[in-house]
Amino acid sequence: MSKRPTVAEHLARQGVSRRAFLKFCAATASMMALPPGMAPAIAEALGQRRRPAVIWLSFQECTGCTESLTRSHSPTIESLIFDVISLDYHHTLQAAAGDAAEHHRERVQEEFAGEYLLIVDGSIPIADGGVYSTIAGMTNLQMLEESAKGAAAIVAVGSCAAFGGIPKANPNPTGAVSVADIIKDKPIINVSGCPPIPVVITGVLAHYLTFGTIPELDKLGRPTAFYGETIHDRCYRRPFYDQGKFAKSFDDAGARNGWCLYELGCKGPTTYNACATTKWNEGTSWPVESGHGCLGCSEPDFWDAGSFYKAVSMPISDLGKLGLAAAAAGAVAGVAVGLHNRHVKAGAKAAHKPLTADELEGDKS
Amino acid sequence: MSALNMERGVKAMMEQIDAPIASYFNSCVHCGLCADACLFYTETGDPKYTPIHKVEPLRRVWKQEYTFWGKLMSTLGLSRRVTDADLDAWQELVYDSCTMCGRCSAVCPVGNDIAYMVRKVREGFAVSGHATEGLAEAAIRTVNIGSPMGIKAETLKKMVASEAKASGIEIELDKPGVEYLLMLSSAEIMQFHEFIGAVAKVMDHAGATWTISTEAFEATNTGIQIGSSDIARQLVQRVVDVAEKLGVKTVISPECGHAYIAIRWDGPNLIGRPYGFQVKHIVEVLDEFRAQGRLHFDDSKEDMKLTFHDPCQMVRRGGVVEQPRRLLDLCADNFTEMPDSGVWNWCCGGGGGVSTNERAEPLRLKVFSRKKSQLDSIGVKAMVTTCSNCRNMLEEGLEEYGMDMEVLSLTELLAEHLDDSKASKGAEA
Repeated sequence: MSKRPTVAEHLARQGVSRRAFLKFCAATASMMALPPGMAPAIAEALGQRRRPAVIWLSFQECTGCTESLTRSHSPTIESLIFDVISLDYHHTLQAAAGDAAEHHRERVQEEFAGEYLLIVDGSIPIADGGVYSTIAGMTNLQMLEESAKGAAAIVAVGSCAAFGGIPKANPNPTGAVSVADIIKDKPIINVSGCPPIPVVITGVLAHYLTFGTIPELDKLGRPTAFYGETIHDRCYRRPFYDQGKFAKSFDDAGARNGWCLYELGCKGPTTYNACATTKWNEGTSWPVESGHGCLGCSEPDFWDAGSFYKAVSMPISDLGKLGLAAAAAGAVAGVAVGLHNRHVKAGAKAAHKPLTADELEGDKS
Repeated sequence: MSALNMERGVKAMMEQIDAPIASYFNSCVHCGLCADACLFYTETGDPKYTPIHKVEPLRRVWKQEYTFWGKLMSTLGLSRRVTDADLDAWQELVYDSCTMCGRCSAVCPVGNDIAYMVRKVREGFAVSGHATEGLAEAAIRTVNIGSPMGIKAETLKKMVASEAKASGIEIELDKPGVEYLLMLSSAEIMQFHEFIGAVAKVMDHAGATWTISTEAFEATNTGIQIGSSDIARQLVQRVVDVAEKLGVKTVISPECGHAYIAIRWDGPNLIGRPYGFQVKHIVEVLDEFRAQGRLHFDDSKEDMKLTFHDPCQMVRRGGVVEQPRRLLDLCADNFTEMPDSGVWNWCCGGGGGVSTNERAEPLRLKVFSRKKSQLDSIGVKAMVTTCSNCRNMLEEGLEEYGMDMEVLSLTELLAEHLDDSKASKGAEA
């Protein structure tokens, strides 16, 4: 296996032209906000590299991330990336099954120890010894810990792997956690989104393969090239927001005119992702363009961040009885303090003795 | 034993703390912008002159008497009450280094009116015996004699008679039924008495009827400066009684900044009712005459290069900015604005009672360096103003720094250039 062909050789064998490969590299460069001159460098770097081994682990997930990656038609840049890497283990995509598949994973981990890239989608349940999700008799927790040991880096694909996602949503019966909650000694790149945009997944992989380093990350471990700006700041409906033109319902004149969806609960202002620029389905459209506000799926705990249809400025949850009681108590206390202070001030006023010139005179002596 | 004590001081501050004061203390974000707006800070670099710091005693009273945590702390003995020693230590900050110019209020990003707060904190200082000696003496003289300089009605009569003679215009005192009642500041009776003649000339020229009262002629209000509403009210009441007795339509505040705000803004609040007359600054009256076409000037426009010093109380607290400029335009050819003119002008250094305070003199003259640099940047021969206290302070400052410059009264300058042949004589003429 160590005699794997280079990417260029492999692609040639697959019938992918040099031109198609360069196009992919140019697209990757522009996507990652790299200068156009980087395209040949990417091509060279990718072309020369031996296809690196990649192990893809799927834990508590819905396969949406994999769907996202494979939903496109060949030959797109997304499918090309699978020719560039050697995807050695992936539940959904591998042909092997049972023991054979697991043995292959173990062999790859051994042979390419310290070199392979580990991709994880899905969260890891840790409650009750991690029994809520097992593969081949191993809990997800065991498998992640075992596979992470020899990994060069880990890419947590999707909001579940990156932040815990829907499995972690309140009340989180399985004790779901993110990859970064468990693995502390490896570089982790969070590619969040539910699911993440396909080109964002491939772009991150291309960056890693080209430069051999992890890209610049934000405070949540996400590549700033894709997660550096909010949906809101890049939204084509932003001018309406600035003009104060808001759709008030999903079928009013404002909605039909394409006005801002802020008041209908769009989480664009607080969500960092590239949807507004890269769009989905080969650049066809994206949620806001189709008339629905952003759900904020690339942010941690988006599922627990209140109704998708409540404006960002509104409180996340209902105040509830306790909240109302607290507000009422606060108001009563405020009035009481106010009345007391008024009383104190009235007392001071009643005790007022007018200042006279004689008193000033007396004070001097 | 003195009847002025700390207990009375704390009570007075408690009485003064109103909703604005409470919200000001709550909203202060300690940004320090007020420091850069205060000439006592900019010219000395000493952070103790940060305006909001000057009202610290008031803040402590507010905290201890009106906030939950403050009350709890003082109940548990964890915070110190405001003491005589505290006010002694703060006296310099409250009286010597604050002219209540209001520049800090104008820059505060959360809208705290710090000058208003200083005015309030002084209430506590006055009744606890911590006002400066100079101000206390001035207040005593104003209440007992009628003027902070101790000027009596006899003196006024003499000065008016001499001005009437010099200008050749009869000035009738205590005349009922006239349109205007002119108030005067002590300085305008003693040092700058030409002002009286100048007003006589302008009034005569414009054909307006006016008088001066021998019962209430003093415009300055030491109650406002020392920080005593009781004394301020008494002084305002004198003017109101006389004005209403004479039945005048308008009381004219003379060329004095704080006299103007005392009678115009504080007065009705102090006596608790609206006046039966209007209050205007002499410059406002002159500008009205101009607008009505009642002022006619000869061809001898002043060609000396001059500038205008905006009295703080006129611009920042009074909103009188354009009037003096329109008037100067009529009688001066070579007018240059100072940098930071209008509402951003820097104080002469002697407002808010600082000029009565001998101890404050060195500091006042030191911070005059700001005015000096303003003047140096434009190089003028004369400075016109509309406040006799500013005039005094400016003259002292110029002398201290060896600057050769005239300080003029706008009213006097205007009167000099009136064309008598075109006077629109009124009913009397």
